[in-house]
Amino acid sequence: MTRRSHVFETMGTVVSFAFDDGEAARIDLERLQGTFAHFDDRYSLYKPDSELSRVARHELDLADASDELRAAYAAALDWRAATHGEFSPHRPDGIIDLSGIVKALAIERAGDELLDGGAVNWCLNVGGDVLVSGLDPVGEPWSVGIVDPQDRAALVTPVRIAAPRRACATSGSAERGDHIWTVGGSPSEFLQATVIADDIVTADVLATAIIAGGAPALDRACASWDIDVLTVDRAGGLRATPGFLHP
Amino acid sequence: MTTTSRPQPWALVPTAPSSRRERFLRRMRAADLLTSLAVTSAAASVALYLAYGGAGDFITLGGFVTSIGIITGLVGTDLILVMLVLAARIPLIDRVFGHDRAMATHRALGKPAIYLILAHTVLLIVGYGISSHLDPVAETVSMWNLPDMPAAFIGLGFMIVVVVTSLVIVRRKFKYEFWYVVHLLSYVAVLTALPHQFSVGAMLAVGTGQRVYWIALYVLALGGIVVFRIAEPLVKSIQHDIRVTAVESIAPGVASIHMSGRKLKALGSSGGQYFIWRFWTGRTWWHSHPISLSAAPTDTRVRVTVRALGDGTTRLGRIPRGTRVSIEGPYGLFTDAGRTSPKLAIVAAGIGITPVRALLEDSRVAPGETTILLRGPEDENFLWDEMEKLAGARGAHFYTSVGPRARGAHSWLSARDVARNVSLRSVFPDFKNSDLYVCGPQAWTDAVIADAKSYGLPDHQIHAERFDW
Amino acid sequence: MRVRAVLGSILGSVTVLVIGWQAGAAAAHNAAELSTASSSGAATTPTGAATPGSTPTPAATSAATSTASPSPSAGSSSTGSSSTASRTIVGATEETPFGPMQAEIIVAGTRITNVKLLQETDMGGRSAEISNYAAPILRQEVLKAQSANVDTVGGATYSSQGYLASVQSAIDKAHL
Repeated sequence: MTRRSHVFETMGTVVSFAFDDGEAARIDLERLQGTFAHFDDRYSLYKPDSELSRVARHELDLADASDELRAAYAAALDWRAATHGEFSPHRPDGIIDLSGIVKALAIERAGDELLDGGAVNWCLNVGGDVLVSGLDPVGEPWSVGIVDPQDRAALVTPVRIAAPRRACATSGSAERGDHIWTVGGSPSEFLQATVIADDIVTADVLATAIIAGGAPALDRACASWDIDVLTVDRAGGLRATPGFLHP
Repeated sequence: MTTTSRPQPWALVPTAPSSRRERFLRRMRAADLLTSLAVTSAAASVALYLAYGGAGDFITLGGFVTSIGIITGLVGTDLILVMLVLAARIPLIDRVFGHDRAMATHRALGKPAIYLILAHTVLLIVGYGISSHLDPVAETVSMWNLPDMPAAFIGLGFMIVVVVTSLVIVRRKFKYEFWYVVHLLSYVAVLTALPHQFSVGAMLAVGTGQRVYWIALYVLALGGIVVFRIAEPLVKSIQHDIRVTAVESIAPGVASIHMSGRKLKALGSSGGQYFIWRFWTGRTWWHSHPISLSAAPTDTRVRVTVRALGDGTTRLGRIPRGTRVSIEGPYGLFTDAGRTSPKLAIVAAGIGITPVRALLEDSRVAPGETTILLRGPEDENFLWDEMEKLAGARGAHFYTSVGPRARGAHSWLSARDVARNVSLRSVFPDFKNSDLYVCGPQAWTDAVIADAKSYGLPDHQIHAERFDW
Repeated sequence: MRVRAVLGSILGSVTVLVIGWQAGAAAAHNAAELSTASSSGAATTPTGAATPGSTPTPAATSAATSTASPSPSAGSSSTGSSSTASRTIVGATEETPFGPMQAEIIVAGTRITNVKLLQETDMGGRSAEISNYAAPILRQEVLKAQSANVDTVGGATYSSQGYLASVQSAIDKAHL
């Protein structure tokens, strides 16, 4: 098996897609890029003509928006309820902002399309959120190195993700300037939260919720969902579920 | 005391005493079996908890209190289900125990059942509270937020209302109809309390044998009520299409209601049994009456005789022709099927003469087997002439006791007869080996029975028809 | 009540009570065996709580944590190396409106490393782990990682510029 990488920019970040050379024929890279472009075009608040921007400016009524947008918004509201407000599709100023869920939805759809196409072993990394299928080039479960938020050139630890836990999403409160609004407004006690789950949307939303809600959110997420978590706090201290260290 | 006895040629073949005894023994075996099953069902509800592993929960204080709370709830609910089965007017229960005895047991179970359910409520609030370190008020609030618990608390409230209004003291203050409607709340209470039994706690979870058994009990109890108290009368009413043809006043305050219908013989009643009647006029439809047939029915005609004893029965005397009638039944063990002994002694007074007349008409008795004593004031003797004719046809001794009543132990007889040393033993030959069938006003019937018991007559030989339930 | 009815009632009642007692003892025995097997480190079957896809379904309601006892407590981190031997402590079963609850704590040295709430499933007494706990750990306890040993890098989303300096870009370059 030889590993191939395909890298491209989308949604303000970079996608690193790794797959086995032998499966190249079953992988449609153009379609993959197209899926992300579709989500970017529709939901990016940095693009004034995107559908979401038009909704945010009240140029377009939510009731008249596309089914896909409304479904995404509904899903985000369900997650807001489930996380007791820690995850929210609205910024504090009330502007609708689905960026917290859209990236994950895009990854999920891209992953489904890859599987539909017959590709079995691949690793899709979109700006640090990872969805895998199958095994890596040497036949082992894909291994993800978790960045040390206090030293981005270093890794805290590797973690292997194996089916059924195929998704690994990480949220941080310091990278890129994207501020995760915490409940109560004070700086988050966690610098970074990595969640491993069966699907990328759950992992992504809960990682965001843990940053926003702090330790109570962490405990609740662990108790209520079937996930594994690694957090790094402001002092550099670690907390991890047993399954994270020994998958 | 007058006596009349006219021997007549005999057509019906009398039933042999030995087969009567057999029938009686079979019925007693069935009665004992059903009673054992009912008691065992209460034990079974506790066994459900043991099988669930509940025996291990008595270690902590909170666990101990909670476990007792769960057990009282199980037994209390089991008693309520038994009460429902008894009130469902299931034919088997009527044939084995008689509906009047079933209702007496139903009433007797009411208090223990409600005490157990109250204990269940209090103990669980305290027990769960201890385990969660909450005071009872906070625990109650916490439980109110659980699924189906508000409905359960409401059901408890209904039950308390039903029990309070059923207390004799309270009941006397209200009209029968009001009490009856309130009593229907008990069915509502059973239904509202049903969901929480399945959603709170894990004992009746999906996949357990306990769940199957518990659901089966409810199906039996509620199903019995739906089938025998709702569906059956409906079907019978449509089938037989009974309507009032005439209301005949045969004495002051006493009326015979003649009715027409279809295939009335198929009603299958034996002489002495009663039906529960509902006359569909604006003012009488919600009050049903247990009334015996006062004559054996033909295929198209049936007759009952009622005495105005209260509002309901008074209005019956004024029903217009053509009124639709619905019936349930037949019920009652006041029949030839209840016979256990070689001789038959019949004592009747007032309106009680109606079932006794039908009983006699339907009975297979040998000449000399039967002795009849009718009691009444000087001027009241409706249906006595028909009784006398029947007595002659059955080769029965016929006596009457008229006049003001006596005082003391034999108050059920007239003063004159007591003065002449008339007694049960003197009237009825071989009294110890007789089936005594008594029917009449409640207090008078009780006096007859007390007198009979004082002679040592065993319970199974005393048959009384009570309409006071 | 007649004598025969009384005797029959006693016989029937005692019989069903004994049957129930025995059935309960057998079930408790099985459950005890299973919970000791699961606490000695073998992976327990995770209860399917999250459905794949975008709709969330939490497994236990938040009310559960307020009425069940004991509540999970955070362990204190010890200085120096922690002993590798871990002990399992199991609490008594408490009856709650949600069913029986039992807590199991795994202690390594003086630190709680995991807290499990065991709750009987409705399939006859199998213990299932319904809670997971993120315990504090030391950096020394986690495996060291180098970019050469991992396939990809997980972290907070980097911008396109941030990517250029990231470990991920180094990995990608090596495989392009």
